[in-house]
Amino acid sequence: MAATDSPPAFSRFEFNLLNLTKFAVGHLPAGPAANLLTTQLPPPPCLTAECVRIVEDTLAKGTVLHLVRAGGWRKERFIRGNAPAVGRVWERIPPDERQLTFSEAPLAFLMWLTAEKPTAAKAKWDVKAHYLTAADELFFATVFEQLQTTEKNAEAVAGKWVFADNPLCRLYAPAEFADADPVSFDRWVVGERAVILECLQPHLTAKWVKSERAKGEIDDWGRIRRVGTSEDRTLRDFLAACDKAGRPDLARFVLTTAKTVLGAGGVDLDFWTGGLKGPPPNRLADRLNAQRAALALPRQMDTLQAWDRRARSVGYFDDGYQASQVWKQDWESANGEGLTATARRLIEQLEPLRT
Amino acid sequence: MSRAYRIRVKESSRRELKGSDEICTDLEVLEILPPEQMGELLKKELKEKGFAEDGGKLVRKDGDVTITVDPKTCEVTVRSDVSEEVTLEAERVEQAYDDVGPGSKEVRERAKKELAKDLDRKAKERTEKLEGKATEQLEKKLCDLQPELSEVVNRVTREALKQKAQQLGTVKEIAEDDETGSLTIKVEV
Repeated sequence: MAATDSPPAFSRFEFNLLNLTKFAVGHLPAGPAANLLTTQLPPPPCLTAECVRIVEDTLAKGTVLHLVRAGGWRKERFIRGNAPAVGRVWERIPPDERQLTFSEAPLAFLMWLTAEKPTAAKAKWDVKAHYLTAADELFFATVFEQLQTTEKNAEAVAGKWVFADNPLCRLYAPAEFADADPVSFDRWVVGERAVILECLQPHLTAKWVKSERAKGEIDDWGRIRRVGTSEDRTLRDFLAACDKAGRPDLARFVLTTAKTVLGAGGVDLDFWTGGLKGPPPNRLADRLNAQRAALALPRQMDTLQAWDRRARSVGYFDDGYQASQVWKQDWESANGEGLTATARRLIEQLEPLRT
Repeated sequence: MSRAYRIRVKESSRRELKGSDEICTDLEVLEILPPEQMGELLKKELKEKGFAEDGGKLVRKDGDVTITVDPKTCEVTVRSDVSEEVTLEAERVEQAYDDVGPGSKEVRERAKKELAKDLDRKAKERTEKLEGKATEQLEKKLCDLQPELSEVVNRVTREALKQKAQQLGTVKEIAEDDETGSLTIKVEV
């Protein structure tokens, strides 16, 4: 009897693995995890059943908790079918459409992370992105986010397919994938992935606002050009996918980011380019392209405005009227027209032949 | 006993170096009339400013600077090209243990390779200077061009408004004030 009550015994590898699992889902801060990320341990031939059970439990509960905290708890309005659905995520979506299924990839990655030091890994581990489930992609995006809070680890793993070809990672941190090929967002605007995106809207807004604010600190012209170009490409591809799927509501975070950034009184070009104190490129063309790239977010306002114009043209008796009202309402509550005017003013200020 | 020989290798190269810089931007032409008609008005105004039609675009060359306007898209490209024909020279002195044997041949070949790199480096430095000159010319040109294109756009807008007014009804009166730039059109519908 006493034996069954005693806590399970784990090997050092398993102990580290369990802690890194907690870190991966955001339940362990970067400080305590830093040591684990620099420790290299030989992996055992197999893990104990109890260890696997705890990893599965942590992934299941940790990922759901992350989605709920990120925004799933909020009473929101999203398009479902051809009409708006209102409520918290578990009120809007039936249980069978919000089940998270993990493949073996997350556990395999966690074992690699425990065995290797990401910045000096000897063993290669990777999985093609199309083998990943929606839950896997969310897991890897969360892991990437967590690794960004540590030193150099995110850069070290950014080239792996599970991160580089993961559309959610691109939305989380486009600057980290400036040199990577574009990815398609088509899978992320339908089905269970769209539900995940619904939950992540406030989280994405917070990330993009932070990223926009950080641009004013960048002093390197080349870097701001790379960051801006990557952000512009990511946003354009994502907005095109949302438009194609008839889900403008999934791009709400772009509008709310614009509201926070452009809606703040007195925003000027210095907000994005004020930090460029480093030696400028010799060519005017390069200088101009860097400054233009910095305004990646304001450049999307024309697309969002076009969506509003289209929504307004849908008649009361037309198909999709109710769905069109969702974006119209979002646009009005964010003062989209005012934001677009501000965005245009800023973009025009950069143009050398303003007439 | 071995002796060291000093081997002097000289290379010169005549090259045409080019430096360029360009910017692309859009003219803000209001859509008062259909785009084709606005394009025609823009074309007419630009021709009066010395632009010539070339493959559907209007081009004017001011010294080293070429201004190209696409009347369909209202895209303006201003490009500055500077070129210079230069003779670049480089010299290297190396040590060898014979003056005609395999050692000297190897040293000469190595020196020639280094000289080619030196010449490329010099050419790169001169090209960078030329690019700087091209940028300087471009910046200066943009300052002169801005009011000129602004005037063109204003004239296009005025002409378009007049034509639009004629489409709306009978134009009774047109009053233009060159100082303030205001245009008043009275139309009887």
